[in-house]
Amino acid sequence: MTAARSTQADDAVTAEVVRNALSMAAQEGGVVVVRAAHSTFIQEGADASAAVLDAVGRLVAQSTATTLMHAASLRESLRALLAEIPVTRMQPGDVFAQNDPFKGGIHANDIAVLRPVFGAGASGPHYFAGTIIHVADLGGGYAGGVAATAQDMFAEGLILPPVHLYRGGEPEAVVWTIIEHNSRTPDKVVGDIRALVAGATIIARRVEELLERYGVDALQHHVDDYIAYTETRMRAELGQIPVGTYTGSFTIDSDGIEADKTYEVTLAVQLPGDGTISLDFTGTSAQARGSINASYSQALSGVLFAVRCFLDPSIPMNEGCYNALDFTFPRGSLVNPNPPAACGGRIVVVTAIMEAIVEALSTARPDRAVASSGIVHLYGMSGGGGSSNGTAPWMLMAMDFGGLGARAACDGPDATGAFVLGGRGGVLQVEPYEAQYPVMVEHTRPRCDSGGPGEWRGGLGIDTAIRLLADAELVVRGDRMILAPPGRDGGAAGEVGYWRVEHPDGSVDELAHRQSHVRLAAGDVFRIGTSGGGGLGDPLARDPQFVVADVRDRRVSRDAARDRYGVIVDDRGELDEVATTRRRGVR
Amino acid sequence: MKVTLGVDVGGTFTDVVLIDPEGVIHVSKVVTSPEDPRDGVRHGVEVALAAAGLDGAAVARFVHGTTLATNVLLERAGARTAFVTTRGFGDLLRLGRSTRIGEARYDLLFPPPEPPVDEAMTFEVSERLTATGAVHTELSAPHIGEVVARIAETQPEAVAICFLHAYANPAHEHRFADACRAAMPGVFVVASADVWPEMREYERATTALACAYVGPVMAAYLAGLQAMLAEIGVACPVQVMDSSGGVLSASLAASKPVATIESGGAAGVTAAGFIGQLLGERHVLSFDMGGTTAKAAVVRAGEPSLTFDFRVGGHASAGDRRADGLAVKTPVVDLAEIGAGGGSLAWVDRGGALQVGPRSAGAIPGPACYGRGGTQPTVTDANLVLGYLRPGELSDGVTLSLAAASAAIDAHVAGPLGIGTVDAAHAIHEIVNNNMVAALRMVTIQRGIDPRDFVLVGFGGAGPIHVARLAEPFGIRRVVVPWAAGVASALGLVAADPSVIEHHSSVIAAAVADPATVTATFDALAERACAALELDDAADLRLVRTIEARYPGQAHQLPIDMPTGALTRADLDAAVDRFHARYREAYGITSDAPVDFVTYRLRAVLPVDKPEPRREVPEPYSPDAGSRRDVFFAEVGIHRSTPVYRWDELRPGASITVAAIIEGAATSIVVPPTWTATLDTMRNVVLAAR
Repeated sequence: MTAARSTQADDAVTAEVVRNALSMAAQEGGVVVVRAAHSTFIQEGADASAAVLDAVGRLVAQSTATTLMHAASLRESLRALLAEIPVTRMQPGDVFAQNDPFKGGIHANDIAVLRPVFGAGASGPHYFAGTIIHVADLGGGYAGGVAATAQDMFAEGLILPPVHLYRGGEPEAVVWTIIEHNSRTPDKVVGDIRALVAGATIIARRVEELLERYGVDALQHHVDDYIAYTETRMRAELGQIPVGTYTGSFTIDSDGIEADKTYEVTLAVQLPGDGTISLDFTGTSAQARGSINASYSQALSGVLFAVRCFLDPSIPMNEGCYNALDFTFPRGSLVNPNPPAACGGRIVVVTAIMEAIVEALSTARPDRAVASSGIVHLYGMSGGGGSSNGTAPWMLMAMDFGGLGARAACDGPDATGAFVLGGRGGVLQVEPYEAQYPVMVEHTRPRCDSGGPGEWRGGLGIDTAIRLLADAELVVRGDRMILAPPGRDGGAAGEVGYWRVEHPDGSVDELAHRQSHVRLAAGDVFRIGTSGGGGLGDPLARDPQFVVADVRDRRVSRDAARDRYGVIVDDRGELDEVATTRRRGVR
Repeated sequence: MKVTLGVDVGGTFTDVVLIDPEGVIHVSKVVTSPEDPRDGVRHGVEVALAAAGLDGAAVARFVHGTTLATNVLLERAGARTAFVTTRGFGDLLRLGRSTRIGEARYDLLFPPPEPPVDEAMTFEVSERLTATGAVHTELSAPHIGEVVARIAETQPEAVAICFLHAYANPAHEHRFADACRAAMPGVFVVASADVWPEMREYERATTALACAYVGPVMAAYLAGLQAMLAEIGVACPVQVMDSSGGVLSASLAASKPVATIESGGAAGVTAAGFIGQLLGERHVLSFDMGGTTAKAAVVRAGEPSLTFDFRVGGHASAGDRRADGLAVKTPVVDLAEIGAGGGSLAWVDRGGALQVGPRSAGAIPGPACYGRGGTQPTVTDANLVLGYLRPGELSDGVTLSLAAASAAIDAHVAGPLGIGTVDAAHAIHEIVNNNMVAALRMVTIQRGIDPRDFVLVGFGGAGPIHVARLAEPFGIRRVVVPWAAGVASALGLVAADPSVIEHHSSVIAAAVADPATVTATFDALAERACAALELDDAADLRLVRTIEARYPGQAHQLPIDMPTGALTRADLDAAVDRFHARYREAYGITSDAPVDFVTYRLRAVLPVDKPEPRREVPEPYSPDAGSRRDVFFAEVGIHRSTPVYRWDELRPGASITVAAIIEGAATSIVVPPTWTATLDTMRNVVLAAR
């Protein structure tokens, strides 16, 4: 470069190049993990999270498909790793794995793999490459890690403190052997962990290329700028939300252990208008005996995601986002439990955190308001193995989504897990499951009338029926089965969900929202009903033609159109305007 | 040798390439007529014929590239279509499967994807197969009759049928389809197992639906095109470019219209492959940059890399995931397409970072320098300021204003960043280059392919300006800008052969796979290919075999090329070795696990006589520059007087060893100081790194 060109212009270009390259590295790592994974659950739609972090544990870049539940865990896990194994004891070719919920982890099956990245002449490490997915079975009391009724973290599977998977490029054989011997499906779990290593290795390779091209100091300078830039944008956006203190809360069915006890996440948000935000969860229930607790990294994931839903979405995701947040998670509560709390079902508390934030910020920004949503329903079935029939053990894990809450000026989408996987929607892909497991899916369809009535209607939950072709054991993990997702601003709640088993003799067992070790016999039908989203605004203010369209599309029954919306739909499916006006008038 | 015509209808321009009996290439570029694209085709063909001094009767081959299928799906302008599926799954398409990634995840107010078919046009049928194809619930004749009667009442123009596990046993779908055809003559009926016989009902259903929806429109369009061509004396049958770089008969294109979904993109990649073949290059990287997007793709040993995951209207993210849009399963050239073109807008975001694209100034208002009302700076404006484009009159009446370009860059980039105009222009140029490098990386390194083995072929209106700079980060040392670079996609149409891709999935451990059985599987695919191409035997076909393999328990495969002929144990073992190597390259880890063969794929190509572009004997010489102007290169750091050559005045053998600009009719080639340029026997510009 010659003196004729300003270094500022060079910087602008190089900065953009480096930012894109870092994001691409994380992105590529995430794609590699999914492509190499062995779990059907990952292959058929769940995504991997992948990130570049620096040597002091700052998030530098993460993959765009990162599962939001996993977002903060790699960052917190790296900090725990660095506390236990200082960088001075790391060497090129090392790869670490860990899953302790109290060392940045989530629960046993969410394994984080971290790989230090060294520069020329083995200097460093300067960065870390991280990947995380829900891996296949890792032991514990519940096949596949769907630990619905666990009462401590040890029941949820094998806990790995930060351990070496590779040391100087050589596999740490004893660790792999222990993992293999603690799994009901050793091939799958080893395959999944290898996929995590593959993703981290690809990321590390890309970052090594950047270190080589730009040098340690210049790259560091660009990373610092990138993080500062992100923080600037976060604060600019936060400063635009109307000043005030806003509150929100969300109540959970129960922890699945103490049936009569409800749990609440309580929040006060302060926005002083100076670009800062503080979120205080004081008043949240004490940690539960059951597995609904959200470890620190999970509470943080929920906070960051929900706050970002009210900011410019084009802000990059890196340490600058965290720098702009101030939060209080009371120790010993649902949002920051003490060990050895069970944390496998944290999705319930994390979504409650998000709902509380969305409630609070919807008050601040009514133009972006969202009513409460249904929740993802996760279930596992397992069978085979053992002495009874000698068939190979199998383990099916799958999920169905509830409806999203109604939004300002638009209805909630059906069967969409906005808070779970960032707007993932849809139904089980039947054929790959039937090809692998002894099940036959009989139907999947929207649950008519499950969306909360409102001027804007909540999204529908769905109803899936799965017939067992072999004996199996079932574990279910849900919420919103006792307390329905509430509506907002006059909108009504959505319908609660259900789990039930229909036996060939016509008898039906209703299951609790969290239940494990349920015996199913060949011929039984397992029914999943997911909850509908809450409505927004007065249902009587809903455009009658929208109600007519809902009746035509079987989203709303004619009876509900009359009783809940005051809209009379005639036998031909047309609006009866006179009767509607009369009905709405008398209400 | 008679005359071949390639006609590519794009969103803005219709490009025509005509190769005459002497191998001389004649081109025309006319504005696409949006209300009926056939008007533009007629005009373009007439212009090209007149330029060549020929009449329509001389045309022996007519190959068409069209965006009709995509347009019909995006504009929802297709046939009135009924969707039929297994009882219990009528809501399959309405509930859909969608993923939101990147920024979209933070938008809680997002509109849900529109269901691709109406509730009232969805029908459930009592029948059920298991995953092995065994019948669990019979499909009864009276039931068929009853459902078909209800479908007929809705007066559909097309019917799409997708039953669960039909990939394993198509009998139920076929019986139902036959009943539909018998009861509703003239209605276009599609069975999912006939268009995509693979597991995963959602994508199979959307593919069948897309076929049914587009088919009648495609059939009518192609029949009308044939009739219009007859009016101007062109009597040869119309052929259509498919998405994989092959050519289909009009009837095959109408019965399987989703095969044409990326017709235009495939034409460009085929052109790049054709150029590579003429130059004796085995491995080619295709780079096509137009007004709004840039497309990168790989052609290895003459074969374009293919993908089977395509979503119409989906947005490819940086990581090559199309997260939304309608899933269509069909072989498509593996393009990485990004929003980077001459019209891409440059702006400084709220955090003070310079961004380029994906938003575009489009044709209206266009770049600021066009003086058509655009005030936002674009890549073209930056290239003008840097001297890569000539100020003054461009073709078709557009005049490029340097003052307007500078003013736009000053106001929106240089000012906010506190830097000079030229630095700002160079920053825009570099950032868009960087984005395009990411696209090239996506189709090479991310697929485990080393780009250094490739020659980079750059075309499209803006491609030749940028292409040398894109080669540099990869260490690619040879770049070719084809003669007629501005209409290269149409050249690809002329170069393409009829071909089909057949495949069969059946998982087996490689170690126990029987070479004779594998050979027989490929032979059976060859028979199917013959039938599709209406041939008696495979003697005239060029067959390309691929096995997709993976480690047991995985769901994603990597393709391995296979030799032709009777396979031996050694061939299969060598394939396993190649798989391990490819896996290591793509995923960064090694495995000694056994390998499963999953899918057998055969591409059958029927080579046809194609005109060879005329080659002239090169006479090495150093041409005189027609003119000079001030051009900016990063290596120099300031604008410096640089020779400018006119492409059509250079003769084969011309050698340029200094930084230079070569101006063509519809494009401009930038030769940076670290490159040299020569004109080859076909007047292609070959750039070599020093």
